[in-house]
Amino acid sequence: MPNNTHLSRFMEMARRVGAEVTQLENLQDAAKYVVTNSSGTTLVPRTALSEKHDLRTVLADAGVDVYDGDFRKAGHFPGAGVTFCNFAMADTGTVVLESTAEDVRLSTTLPEKHFVLVDPEIILEDNLAAAVPMTKIHTGNEPKFVAYVTGPSRTADIERVLTIGCHGPRELHILVIEGLSSDLYEI
Amino acid sequence: MATDQSYKKSIETAINNPKLSKALHLFGDAYLIARENAYSGLNFDAMRQELAAIKDDVRIRRKELLAEFIKNAEAAGSIVFVAKDVKEANDYVIKLAEKKGAKLIAKSKSMVSEEAHFNKAMEKAGIRASETDLGEWIVQLAGQRPSHMVMPAIHMFKEEVAELFGKEVGKTLNPEIKTLVDVARERLRQEYFNADIGLTGANFLIANTGGIGLVTNEGNARLCATLPDTHVVFAAIHKLLPTVEDAIKLTRLLPRNATGQLLTSYVTWIKGTVPCDGKTKEQHIVLIDGGREALYESKACQDALRCIQCGACANVCPVYQTVGGHVFGSIYISAIGIILTAFYEGLDKAKELTRACIGCRSCTAVCPSNIDLEEIILHLRTQVTSEYGMGVIKNVAFKAVMKNRGLFHSMVKAASKLQRPVTHPSRTGDEKRVIRHLPMHFMDRDFTQWRDLPSVAETSFRDQFPNIRQSVSDPKYTVGFFVGCGADFVYPEVGTSLIKVLNALNVDVVFPQKQNCCGIPALYSGDTETGVYLAKQNVEAFTEAKVDYIISICPTCTMAIKRDFVERLADHPGWSAKALALSDKTMDASAFLENVLGASEKLGNLSGNGSVTYHDSCHLKRGNNVFKEPRALLGASGYEISEMKNSDRCCGFGGTYSFLSHPQISKQITHDKVEAIQNVNVKTVAMDCPGCMIMLKGAMGKANPNIRCAHTVELMAEALDKK
Repeated sequence: MPNNTHLSRFMEMARRVGAEVTQLENLQDAAKYVVTNSSGTTLVPRTALSEKHDLRTVLADAGVDVYDGDFRKAGHFPGAGVTFCNFAMADTGTVVLESTAEDVRLSTTLPEKHFVLVDPEIILEDNLAAAVPMTKIHTGNEPKFVAYVTGPSRTADIERVLTIGCHGPRELHILVIEGLSSDLYEI
Repeated sequence: MATDQSYKKSIETAINNPKLSKALHLFGDAYLIARENAYSGLNFDAMRQELAAIKDDVRIRRKELLAEFIKNAEAAGSIVFVAKDVKEANDYVIKLAEKKGAKLIAKSKSMVSEEAHFNKAMEKAGIRASETDLGEWIVQLAGQRPSHMVMPAIHMFKEEVAELFGKEVGKTLNPEIKTLVDVARERLRQEYFNADIGLTGANFLIANTGGIGLVTNEGNARLCATLPDTHVVFAAIHKLLPTVEDAIKLTRLLPRNATGQLLTSYVTWIKGTVPCDGKTKEQHIVLIDGGREALYESKACQDALRCIQCGACANVCPVYQTVGGHVFGSIYISAIGIILTAFYEGLDKAKELTRACIGCRSCTAVCPSNIDLEEIILHLRTQVTSEYGMGVIKNVAFKAVMKNRGLFHSMVKAASKLQRPVTHPSRTGDEKRVIRHLPMHFMDRDFTQWRDLPSVAETSFRDQFPNIRQSVSDPKYTVGFFVGCGADFVYPEVGTSLIKVLNALNVDVVFPQKQNCCGIPALYSGDTETGVYLAKQNVEAFTEAKVDYIISICPTCTMAIKRDFVERLADHPGWSAKALALSDKTMDASAFLENVLGASEKLGNLSGNGSVTYHDSCHLKRGNNVFKEPRALLGASGYEISEMKNSDRCCGFGGTYSFLSHPQISKQITHDKVEAIQNVNVKTVAMDCPGCMIMLKGAMGKANPNIRCAHTVELMAEALDKK
């Protein structure tokens, strides 16, 4: 990985909080990965990047059950959600998704598993480095919904025992692929 | 009196439930390790000072920032309502629900909604508010209130949860945590879909964007904010921050300090009315004062509003670990809870709580907003005392006796004779007499059942001093010795040891006879008047002495001279300059020996004195930042140090706390310390505080009289004797 010095730190930190991190060659491999690691209805929101890379078709061609209707009617527990992200932060192993479009939110909160595609180019050194893009995203009067996601949903509310998969996805799979995006403001 | 009795009873009940206390101890130990790892490579002190500065700026500019927040939030489509109290806030939501015909509110965690007794208020209005945070849901089903800010159901066990959830879903459940979490996942998912309104709190409100932030782990807040078509944000006004960057700085501290996570699973930034089910979401932001403006206006207590609600002050608190959050707290618990209860619920509601703090400063040491919680609590205790009194015993002791130096000292002398019928030779025989049982049975349980009480020395240090021969020909320094009551009347041998050590290092010691008690027992009981009076006596005595340094072997006395005298005399013309001058040259003995005299290097060739373990006194480590020095001195004196578990956890003494206000809590905290010491398997435990010596000698006397408790300077003097 010539173009990002923060990649190995990002992968290490994401794994430490329970994310599955895999480096893949291309989106076709990602589609195979999703087929192998999940089942059931899969929410794939139409966003700038997913349209650009024709992600829904790539996934469907590999056999993923890409959901076609209104995401709110995909059931209480869809099998999976597949999204891109705007950028990532190496020091905490976090992916950041501008989720103003409701389908991005539904694809990342309801499913049992969340697969997120990350280009090494958009991994920032740390949370402090995110101040610039975060400030820019929030400039102006447009409503915005930005989600930091760090590992799967978790709780320790019963006897302080760490338990994965409380209300959000039980699994977070981070698929690292080069050449997806170098734009922090695109998802 | 009724409250007083039920409060005492609640302590008793909590202490009789060792299962809870054990769980909180395990949690506290695990927390310390996780927290330390989370800050690895970072400068916690610099980070917390930065956050404190941001929060102070918010306090000063709060009106301007609030206006900026409202303007930006409204520009993004939000409807903002400012509620002066929690009732107004509840009423706003009820009216909104009525207007929309809403029957169900899916709710994620919001502490201010606890303050508002939100769920009850909704129920009265015919609206069901369903908690979706796992811990909050458990507590709601049990009809209780949270006992911890971050982990609301930390006081409950999986068997109880299985029973509650079983009733809710109508089947018998295995008390297996994974199963129980899955039940909540399944059951609560329906609530998000069915709810008419989603309600969340806010960890921060960003003025220059009009957006809010949620720092969570479970993912329920995201669902509450996404699925229902109306989002209500229930937040207190002190959550304001100027910019996105400030919010990022807060998120670097909050999870690390709350749970030892680098970041929570989710940090959610929501600004304005985002799309919802093909339409635009309706978002209402209810900003609640609820007593915060009054707290901002209190100079002595305003720092409390820097709080970011991480709960760390509970996690490390020995009192919390002993009795739990239902006893040591109200809506908010532990140290910050004492302060917020006083302001949000009234001083009357907080009066027992202010006294329940043992003053160990462990909360202050871990606070991510750099709040001196102990000092604010002391201030509130003063208010409680002036409003409700401090009790007859303390009144006579402080006001009538201690202020009068002559009377105080002759009474102590008389006591050394009068105690004769109850003292016994100590079990080891090589030390002086102790009190093993008091003749009054009703006092025995609190006083001598689990510890020996020290006897008053035959001859106080002040009476011994004139006969001590010092042979320092050309002294490098002349120091004034502030002996403190503990060493003066109970352990004068600590004072004589100090002189021996100082003389060996070419330092001459003078003892101003006009010195008196430092006044901390009175101040900590809220008796400022006596405190100020004693401060003046001591300032006068030591100013007259014209010495290079003032040295004490008691860290609480050291703190009194360094900090409290200066603060108490700040508005007393003619005194404040003198107090400041003394403060500058006052040091704890270990710090002086090591940092000024370089004692460990000078003594450096002693060896073979055996193993000791070291107990860090609260006020030495967290009040004076001295903890390396005594270890270096003991090492140089030939003692090998085996560290005990949690060496800087309070010994349970807390002055009058262990005798008058909360002996039963002290007993438990002391028990933990005794266990930690016994687990090291050494014959000696060293410490630098006569208060800790009273507590630990007393408790060891009952638990294992073969383990000796000694002051560091005593051990140093013995090593010098052997040389």
